[in-house]
Amino acid sequence: MTKWKLPHITKPINIIVGGYGSGKSEVSVNLARTLVLDQDFKNRPISILDLDIVNPYFRSREASVELEKLGIEAINPEGSEYYADLPIILPQIKGVIQNAQGTVICDVGGDDVGARVLSSLETSFHRKSYDMFLVLNANRPFTSSVASTQKLIGEIESSSRLRFSGIISNSHLMDYTTADTIIDGIKLSEAVSKEINLPITCICAETKILDLMTKNKIKYPVLPLNRSLLKPWE
Amino acid sequence: MAKVLMKGNEAIAEAAIKAGAKNYFCYPITPQTEVAEYLAKRMPEVGGVFLQGESELAVANMLFGAAATGKRVFTTSSSPGISLMQEAISYMAGAELPTVIVNIMRGGPGLGGILPAQSDYFQSVKGGGHGDYRLLVLAPSTIQEAVDLMMLSFHLADKYRNPVMMIGDGMIGQMMEPVEFPDKFEEDELPEKDWAITGAKGRKPKVAKSLFLDPHALEDNSWKLHAKYEEMKKHEIRFEKYKMSDKNEIMLVAYGTMARICQTAIDHLESEGISVGLFRPITLFPFPLQQIQDEAVKKNIKKVLVIEMSTAQMMEDVERAILGKKQIDFYGRTGGIVPSPEEVVNKIKGMVAKKAKSKKTAAKKTSKSKKKA
Repeated sequence: MTKWKLPHITKPINIIVGGYGSGKSEVSVNLARTLVLDQDFKNRPISILDLDIVNPYFRSREASVELEKLGIEAINPEGSEYYADLPIILPQIKGVIQNAQGTVICDVGGDDVGARVLSSLETSFHRKSYDMFLVLNANRPFTSSVASTQKLIGEIESSSRLRFSGIISNSHLMDYTTADTIIDGIKLSEAVSKEINLPITCICAETKILDLMTKNKIKYPVLPLNRSLLKPWE
Repeated sequence: MAKVLMKGNEAIAEAAIKAGAKNYFCYPITPQTEVAEYLAKRMPEVGGVFLQGESELAVANMLFGAAATGKRVFTTSSSPGISLMQEAISYMAGAELPTVIVNIMRGGPGLGGILPAQSDYFQSVKGGGHGDYRLLVLAPSTIQEAVDLMMLSFHLADKYRNPVMMIGDGMIGQMMEPVEFPDKFEEDELPEKDWAITGAKGRKPKVAKSLFLDPHALEDNSWKLHAKYEEMKKHEIRFEKYKMSDKNEIMLVAYGTMARICQTAIDHLESEGISVGLFRPITLFPFPLQQIQDEAVKKNIKKVLVIEMSTAQMMEDVERAILGKKQIDFYGRTGGIVPSPEEVVNKIKGMVAKKAKSKKTAAKKTSKSKKKA
């Protein structure tokens, strides 16, 4: 078992949004995997909804087989729509959200453009209670400062018609990530958190980096990541 | 500059700005649309022009006009979009206008699909448009290389007064990797653009055109272009070798991200005692014909294996390089299916096993014939 305190997920609907390439899909997949193993969530169904309508590749649906094996329900477009980058909302999506018995994780496309899909489901989200998390990678060009991140937050809230509940600090440089990358990322998340009064829900990092870090380095809950959405040669 | 994490499409866009290209015309198409999205944000910040045309035809002709002014201009598209631009690309080659065109390839033919492919090799390298012309074609395999080659493309376009095309399969556009940009793009000195149309105040008017009704003038122009392509063959061939040694039994030839899959396969085979090397062309025109031949004819190389995300296109250039001096085999997946390193490993193991088997049968035959004697 991990030495880290895991993020505290309390709501039935958990919406994962953020800038392009902030790592939303990887965070969603890992959050689902972590919750299914968490004793607190025992006997509660976990499902993951791929609501990415803007990216053509590297989407959480690619991890479906692996997640279903763990007992996580993965809801994706089927047939040839699986491969499309069209704005398709499956008819059963609203039902899944409204009838959710357990915990639902919604993986959403990047920026305000990707988050727009949420506004069509807004009433369903409000009927159930939801948390919406901002995945933040300080090493991405449009979220490298407090001002630019704040701008993105405003844009996403306006296009989704939903409000943020917390920040998931997910700073990384893929294989070039070091403990410093994580720490520097936390600094940006803290600055944003302070500026707009939004709590830090958790910190994400690959387990191999976390292994190198001592517990007192991070004062927030931690979601350890094991990458699922790999490039063909990885 | 510090490393940033970027999607290939964004990195290509930023690299163009770094190379001083501030005139971008585009029409969106998956999987390259993020280039346009990124530049729609960035161009106003750097005083550049972002213009979405009404179609790829319009975009390609905007490039012609803008390139004629001597400014650095570019577009990006994906396979079917690039097909639509071919007429204007041929015109720009004929009129000797420097342009940079990026093709983030998806599966074809026709409307095809949106997943990665390398099936526009012929279109890029053999002339997708009409007439006696060539494009200088570059193929990166990492996002950092895409950045470096994108900047270089603008230099080479100006150096040769010719359109340059950079091609990458969809993954080059969509995947994310850490990249570093130079503070300033350092390039060799270029000839003055005395051909640029900048307004004829106080001088004779200039014309940028590819129409030559007099056949002698047209022939002269074609031979002039030909001479430039010969110069490119002399000076611009680029390639990279991976784990090539005199222990190799098999030599792979692959480009773009396909080469990275091959590298993973090579590392795996090495751990099992099978020695394989990789030759990766970076320029697809000019193609490293001689360099491939020099490696392939080496005694230790039993077979050459070409691997592509197509049904065998670069294969024809490798055949042209090797001229029947070594046996060539091919492995390919297409339509958006990316071969896995395991597939490549299995293909190579199959080749090695076959060879061992044929050696055995040959040995048996000799022992039999000895008995007979």
